Amino acid sequence: MSNGDTRGSLLRWLDERYELSPLLAYMRHKEVPVGAHPMVWYYLGGATLFFFLVQVATGVLLLMYYQPGEATSYESIRYIATKVPFGWLVRAIHCWSAHLMIVSLVIHMFSTMLLKAYRPPRELTWLTGFALFGIALGFGFSGYLLPWNELSFFATSVGTDSVKSVPVIGHWLLLVMRGGEDVTIHTLYRFFAAHVVILPVACFALVGVHLLFIQRQGMAPPLHGASGRKGMPFFPNFALRDLLLWLVCLTGLASLAVLLPYGPSLPGMEWELGAKADPLAPAYPGIKPEWYFLWIYQLLKEFPPHLFGLEGPELCLLVVGLLMGFWAMIPWLDRSARRNRPSPAFTDVGFAAIYFLTFLTLKAADLGVAVVPTTPEETAVVAKVCAAVTIALAAGATMLRVGLYDHDWFVLSTAALVHVALHGLLGWDYLEAGAACAAAAALIVAAGALRRSSSSSPGASS
Amino acid sequence: MTARAAISALLLCMLPVLVGAAEAPDEGGPEFVMTEALQEMLDARDDQDAPIVDEKGRSHFEGLPAHAKALFANAVDGEFIGSADQLGVILSLELDSSRLELVLTNNCLLCHSNPGYQDPPTLFSLDPVAAGSPPYMDLKLILSDTHFRHNLSCAGCHGGDPTGEMDHDHPDEWPAEHDERVDDPKWIPGFCARCHSDVKVMGRFNPGMPTDQFDKYKESHHGRALLEEGNTRAAQCVSCHGVHGIQPASNPASSVNAKRVPETCGKCHADAKLMKDVTLDDGSPMPTDQLDEYRKSVHGRALLEEGDTGAPACNDCHGNHAAAPAEVSSVAQICRTCHARNGTLFDGSRHKEAFEKNEWPECEQCHGNHAIDKTSDAMLATTKGALCADCHDEHASDNPECKKTAAHFRDTILGMAQATKEYASISHGLAERGLDVEPIDDELRSLDDTLKLSRSTIHAFDRSDFDEVAAQGEESARKIRSLVNAAEEEYRERRGGLLIALAFMLLVVLALWLKIRGIEREQAGGD
Repeated sequence: MSNGDTRGSLLRWLDERYELSPLLAYMRHKEVPVGAHPMVWYYLGGATLFFFLVQVATGVLLLMYYQPGEATSYESIRYIATKVPFGWLVRAIHCWSAHLMIVSLVIHMFSTMLLKAYRPPRELTWLTGFALFGIALGFGFSGYLLPWNELSFFATSVGTDSVKSVPVIGHWLLLVMRGGEDVTIHTLYRFFAAHVVILPVACFALVGVHLLFIQRQGMAPPLHGASGRKGMPFFPNFALRDLLLWLVCLTGLASLAVLLPYGPSLPGMEWELGAKADPLAPAYPGIKPEWYFLWIYQLLKEFPPHLFGLEGPELCLLVVGLLMGFWAMIPWLDRSARRNRPSPAFTDVGFAAIYFLTFLTLKAADLGVAVVPTTPEETAVVAKVCAAVTIALAAGATMLRVGLYDHDWFVLSTAALVHVALHGLLGWDYLEAGAACAAAAALIVAAGALRRSSSSSPGASS
Repeated sequence: MTARAAISALLLCMLPVLVGAAEAPDEGGPEFVMTEALQEMLDARDDQDAPIVDEKGRSHFEGLPAHAKALFANAVDGEFIGSADQLGVILSLELDSSRLELVLTNNCLLCHSNPGYQDPPTLFSLDPVAAGSPPYMDLKLILSDTHFRHNLSCAGCHGGDPTGEMDHDHPDEWPAEHDERVDDPKWIPGFCARCHSDVKVMGRFNPGMPTDQFDKYKESHHGRALLEEGNTRAAQCVSCHGVHGIQPASNPASSVNAKRVPETCGKCHADAKLMKDVTLDDGSPMPTDQLDEYRKSVHGRALLEEGDTGAPACNDCHGNHAAAPAEVSSVAQICRTCHARNGTLFDGSRHKEAFEKNEWPECEQCHGNHAIDKTSDAMLATTKGALCADCHDEHASDNPECKKTAAHFRDTILGMAQATKEYASISHGLAERGLDVEPIDDELRSLDDTLKLSRSTIHAFDRSDFDEVAAQGEESARKIRSLVNAAEEEYRERRGGLLIALAFMLLVVLALWLKIRGIEREQAGGD
């Protein structure tokens, strides 16, 4: 009997029992749109999924040796990194893949946002994706503490401390996260449970739903409608390309893990074990969270202790909450995209968000000075360098937008850049500059809306 | 019903008792009743109508317990506190009630801090210089004095009864005439020894304290100079311990605390004027640069700059009460109290005999005394200007083997030091590449220990003894070398493995790409 016959009879056997024919027919006809924008944006979700699967595989391997506990957490990680055969490789891949997963997730999210792939009927895909972003951050935050080393201990102390500023339930949330008033080994037990059980279960469920939506609805076609070109069959063309990308990612991961086993030594992106955590030792200056939390860390620093009768951090977390809420609700707020029309304002929201996050992240990383700045002059130098870099990057992005994509609406991104310039280059207070720019942008947007409504009204009446 | 009424009635009857108990004053003893005289002093104002007892003083008074306030009232009534100024000074010290009790029951101190009764030479004040008094008439100083705080008070030395009348006889040992007391301090050691040499007396205050200070002092250079030769410049108890502000040596503020000893000795020994005419045993003039030299020495820097109280001060080598310049024969023994291993090795060395023959003071001959510098491997050089070379050129030029031994010591030690430094840097680099450097670092620590031991073993001045120790260093270096090689080999293997994996994956990628191209070409053909 030939191979083909065996496969055919196996398929028949399965089909008789599970009615696979409609599913196979659906998959045979499923297509990926080939449109006006490069297809690269369609692969980022797949790349994120690949890194997640690598995390699961390496996480399970680490779990075979990791022992949470006051006297074992640090020691077992040390043992993994030094004595267990290929333990160093597994740990390095786990760490690298964790960061690359968030990198590809963030690019995936912003490409989805800028290409308006969230528009109906894919609102829930956006929402589940946004929830997965939250889970990924949770993975990062909880996994960071597990080696129980000095850096992770202090960074977790600082990170969980900011939770107490969540309005109303802050202190309760702090107790829930820490398992007490302070970061202790009980905090590590909680984080461990979250990292290896709670978050993975939630993540698998949400990834399942997210993928189901995508398989059911297909990839979002470009906003301007079909390009007229025929779509690419999902099976086998797109799936094989996905596989190809996964192999390239695996190659990259292996190379990075072997050549830079402790990370690229960028702020918030290194994982050398260092000294064991000592809860009685004083925290040293310059403790920073992982790179994807740097923007919140910096924003918290920009708020004064008290503002408008509220605690500064409390107000800051309110602002972050509002921004996150806005981001999650974009599919409903972007009414032009809902009608399948171009929505330049929301494209600009995306760019404004990128500039906002870039500046804060660079500033938190103390770009421009060799050591942690201690004087106001050094802080001003950091702000200036970060503003210059952000503005230079934005200038490049704007040229691409104008030259390649014919963008012509820049109000919000300009406001974000003016904010950066006022604060970084002219030395304005971050919040005052932000308030001034937000007010100016709001005025311009409102004036534009008024003009449009007044110019459209006569047309409507006629 | 009846029972309940009975209990209620009982409780009602007990109510005054219960309330009374609740309101009972917290403290026992009589309540303080303010006297008119004390109130007047507290409220007194100066010519500019400003309060003499300031706000801080009055609030301190208000915060005092009743018995302390009553003591103030008594002192004012008995005219021991004679003015608002004096009251203000005592309150400004902000003493707690137990120390106030010491002051307010001590009529000597009260009378001698009353400017109305005393002339500057016998007046205790907050600023004796401004008051024209001797510096030891400092009120704060006497209150911090260990004798005063142990309730020995003025009478302990000056005689009399601090709670009684003012007229009294001084102890027999107390020279009656002021000039006699000041100009000829010969009486002081014996006077202090009345208590400090009496086991029973000292047992009452500080049983752990030795009582042989006076005996030692009598044998010391200071003691002999003062008591036998009548040299009144020679140090006695007061010169080092002070008068009214005596503190135990454990107190950092004490002039005889380890960290302050060099400065205290230097008060005289660094003073060229005071040391004029003073000679050493060999008749040479007493130098005055010891303090400067000590400050720059390895011991001085450790004690004075790093606060390492394990480092020796003057008294650790010269003794304190029995202070004397160390004899040539005993210098090395003193060094041995800390540097025991080096001393023992030296004793067994061939240098011992040569040093004895030349009457050289062993350790001091190479390392110096007050200016002992941190040892360095350069001391072993065989070139001119180096320690070994210079001495051997002068005294043992007929034995070329010595220079060879010194060169061997130096080369071996420098090699070990260099290896320690290099391997530490290599280990750091390997750790950054993610390799396990724990065994390397363990062996590095062992190499460092051997290096220290080898430096010490030089004092045997024997090649075979030295080589026996240094061989462990060579063994450590060999182990490190092989561990480093293994780690580097592992890193090469890692990179090799990566290359093979990359080549394989590249092939798969290529095959997959060709497969996709094939499928798509087929699809295009189909269309």
